[in-house]
Amino acid sequence: QTLFVGEAGPNRGARAAALQGFADAAAEASGGSVTMDIQWGGALFKANAALAGIADGVADLGTIIAVYFPKEMVAYGIADLPLENPDAWVGMKATDELMRTDASIQANLADMNLVYIGTFTTSAVHIACKGGAIRSVDDIAGKKVRGVGAYGNTFKEFGANMVPMSIYDAYQGLDTGLLDCSQGYSYAIAALKQQEVIDSYTLLNWGQVGALGIFMNKDAYDALDASAQEALLTAGAEVPDLLGELITADNEKAVQTMKDAGVEVIELAAEERSKLVEKGNVFIGEWVEKANAVGLDGEALLETYRGLIDKYTEERDTKGYPWLRG
Amino acid sequence: MDGTLIGLVAFASVLLLLGLRVPIAFALAGVATIGTFLIFAMRTGVFMPDRAIRPTTSLVFSNSFDLIHSYDLSMIPLFVALGHIAYRAEITTKIYHAARVWLASVPGGVAMASVMGCGGFSAITGSSIACASTMGRICSPEMLSMGYDKRLATASVAAGGTLGSLIPPSVLFIIYGIFTETSISSLFLAGIIPGLISLLGFLLVIFVWVWRDPSAAPRFEGQITRAERMQAAWEAWPAVLLFVIIVGGIYGGFFTPTEAAAVCVSAAVIIGFAQRKLTFKALWESVRETCLQTTSIFLIAAGAKIFVAFIALTGVANDIVGFVTSADLSVLALLLAIAAIYLLLGMFLDPIGIMVLTLPLLVPLVESYGFNLIWFGVVVIKLLEIGLITPPVGLNVFVIAGVVGKEVPLDRIFSGILRFLTVDIIVLALIMAFPILSLLIPSSL
Amino acid sequence: MLRRIEMWLLDLAVAAVIALGLLITVTVVLRVTMNSGVPDTIVMVRELMVAAVLLPAAATTANRAHIVVEVISNKLPVPVQNALVVFGSVFGLIALAPLIYAGWREMTHTFASGAYFFGDLELPKWPGRVLFLLGIVVCWVRLLVLVVGDIARLRRGETLIENADGAGG
Ligand code: NA
Ligand code: NA
Repeated sequence: QTLFVGEAGPNRGARAAALQGFADAAAEASGGSVTMDIQWGGALFKANAALAGIADGVADLGTIIAVYFPKEMVAYGIADLPLENPDAWVGMKATDELMRTDASIQANLADMNLVYIGTFTTSAVHIACKGGAIRSVDDIAGKKVRGVGAYGNTFKEFGANMVPMSIYDAYQGLDTGLLDCSQGYSYAIAALKQQEVIDSYTLLNWGQVGALGIFMNKDAYDALDASAQEALLTAGAEVPDLLGELITADNEKAVQTMKDAGVEVIELAAEERSKLVEKGNVFIGEWVEKANAVGLDGEALLETYRGLIDKYTEERDTKGYPWLRG
Repeated sequence: MDGTLIGLVAFASVLLLLGLRVPIAFALAGVATIGTFLIFAMRTGVFMPDRAIRPTTSLVFSNSFDLIHSYDLSMIPLFVALGHIAYRAEITTKIYHAARVWLASVPGGVAMASVMGCGGFSAITGSSIACASTMGRICSPEMLSMGYDKRLATASVAAGGTLGSLIPPSVLFIIYGIFTETSISSLFLAGIIPGLISLLGFLLVIFVWVWRDPSAAPRFEGQITRAERMQAAWEAWPAVLLFVIIVGGIYGGFFTPTEAAAVCVSAAVIIGFAQRKLTFKALWESVRETCLQTTSIFLIAAGAKIFVAFIALTGVANDIVGFVTSADLSVLALLLAIAAIYLLLGMFLDPIGIMVLTLPLLVPLVESYGFNLIWFGVVVIKLLEIGLITPPVGLNVFVIAGVVGKEVPLDRIFSGILRFLTVDIIVLALIMAFPILSLLIPSSL
Repeated sequence: MLRRIEMWLLDLAVAAVIALGLLITVTVVLRVTMNSGVPDTIVMVRELMVAAVLLPAAATTANRAHIVVEVISNKLPVPVQNALVVFGSVFGLIALAPLIYAGWREMTHTFASGAYFFGDLELPKWPGRVLFLLGIVVCWVRLLVLVVGDIARLRRGETLIENADGAGG
């Protein structure tokens, strides 16, 4: 059976490769009985319509980005929180295990006619600036910043003036001085050639935007036989390893590209980062309340998630990344 | 029935319905909805209409709603309103008077000035539709009131509007850059020379048109003294000020191109009130006309958006590109085939929709032929721009038709467009034949 | 009655365009002068766009301002042209009907789920959906009234295409 897949992004880059890898893995695991027809670039529905698009069966499965659905996808939104969670692979593994094993989240998704399949990440949030660099949180005040989610909100708390703009327009914004800084991910900054217009890149090592992943229409999922379902779930569980390897390499390469272009790469000092983490706690508290409001136990989910981050951090530290293991 | 067949039947149905005078928005939305319904109903191989209702309604809603629910497209009603307000405040009349007086000895001078205005405006908006809707509202009525040939007054601006995406900045280049992982800044630079060549081509069309038929662009009658010229130039200051605000604001880092539309409207309103040319009632009336005009444009764009999603479901784009891939063509034949695909899809679909449907399949193919992706990007954008002015679905032409109203019917505009299309095809051939035209600037920086 | 509703919706759309223009201008002015801004500007502009674009749909229909291709139909006999005008409107009724159903489904769903946009104000998603449905429904009703009126005129032996005639040359 050929399943329609709706993806809002292009067929290029690490995430696209991971989605294609997932489709190939599912086809192989099912012995060729499940194949996928991926519609890239939001041809079927844009990112802000993905939830209904999948739940209603416009596509059988596809990528949902939680930030567009703060109410419906509140549980998944845990992966977007400014926890001390900057490692792409660790973050994805923790998110994947939470989404896969927590019964309350699965029930919540089932109510919306959705089944969780696998998770992506955009990787750690850092910040690129033109002119004055960010070396401490005191440098944030008064800067015109393009920000992402709770990370942007935290910057606002430190006195940044948030400028609404897409990441694709950030190049021009930085170039003309409309923006002083743009939050982003290393690979995206290099892909959009922002190294041409920035002077510094501060590694925040603070957290990531990880609440985006593959979900499936529950009716379509239930209509599959058990072996096909198993093939999809297995392929979904491999996504963190797949994307982790690609995105980690891309990010390292991107930082090197920035250095080669004369951009100063700055590591934010630990005590400065802890100020960010502390200020960001407000948004974590707000998230707990929102999760509680939809009948989930926010506090418990957070504790489980933090435990999972520790678990996979430890696994990475002792065994290394899976793609580097002999 | 397989998807590709449904897709081809749908193209034919749209053609038929448009021929039968069905409003374009209804034809696109209706055919796409019915086609989508059939595809979902037939998915299991057995006709199950009850299973198709939910996905079909979801698809038609999200695609039409998303198109309208857009921050970037707020530029369109705002720039159309700018045209109306500037007209009522006599800002546009003054600049046109100046253009007419200064260019009195140039045949078709005002049409040429309009096309050059489009070129200048292209450097501000990233979008051809925004370019056409603003310049269309400003230029076409002025040329019509000067007695210009209706086809010239409308077609020149519809064609000029297509410069919006070739001359940077440009939304289409950004999307192309994302889909091909090429440098967006290099793409922008690569578009400059082809954009200017297109502009020169359009000027040439106007020149030849008026040279062969002087009545198409009536000359300014009577003597013009130097003092009158200076007077005319001086009185055009509000338009110059608006232009300075836009360009200075964007390149000075004060606002984005989308924000520029709003700032410029506000500035025009202030100038209008300060000069006592504008009243609150006139302002309200201007925006009323704006709303009526933008609605008909947006309804078509929303119908086109639903149509793109439907075409994605049919897989017809995959099949066409797959056919070309398997044909194992020579370089020249491949280029011609790609041009044919884009021109064919460009008859019905909007530029972004075409890119989203074709680039994922086409880019690996052209890479395997060793094409330079920056140059190929310019070729693609030029082809998409041509699609904006080809019948039956030519969004730029609809925009002009929307803003000039019933005074000039659609087929008159299309008949004027034909002359510009001839030159566009020549420019396209030049861009294809000489990649250096695109690559000179990006490679020398 | 319908005419009054149409004009009222059109005026609401006018207010929406003015509001979004002002909103964006204020955002820019605040940023340039005071280094601050209006929260959730983008979301509000998007919602206002639905009002600006769809509420005038009925008035557009009443003005017969939907863009059509006349090049082929102009060459046909007048009775056929009249029939085609009615056919175009009837096809519009068919094309818009699924959007009404879809809009209704989406609106009720958004009410039930309490969905909101990400942002400082967490603005609810329902207003844009209500505006969408309102615009399409009134447009549909206007189209229906137009069809009924057109058929009545044709029965009285009148023609519908005098507007189109003059513009054909
Ligand atoms: Na442009
Ligand atoms: Na076309």
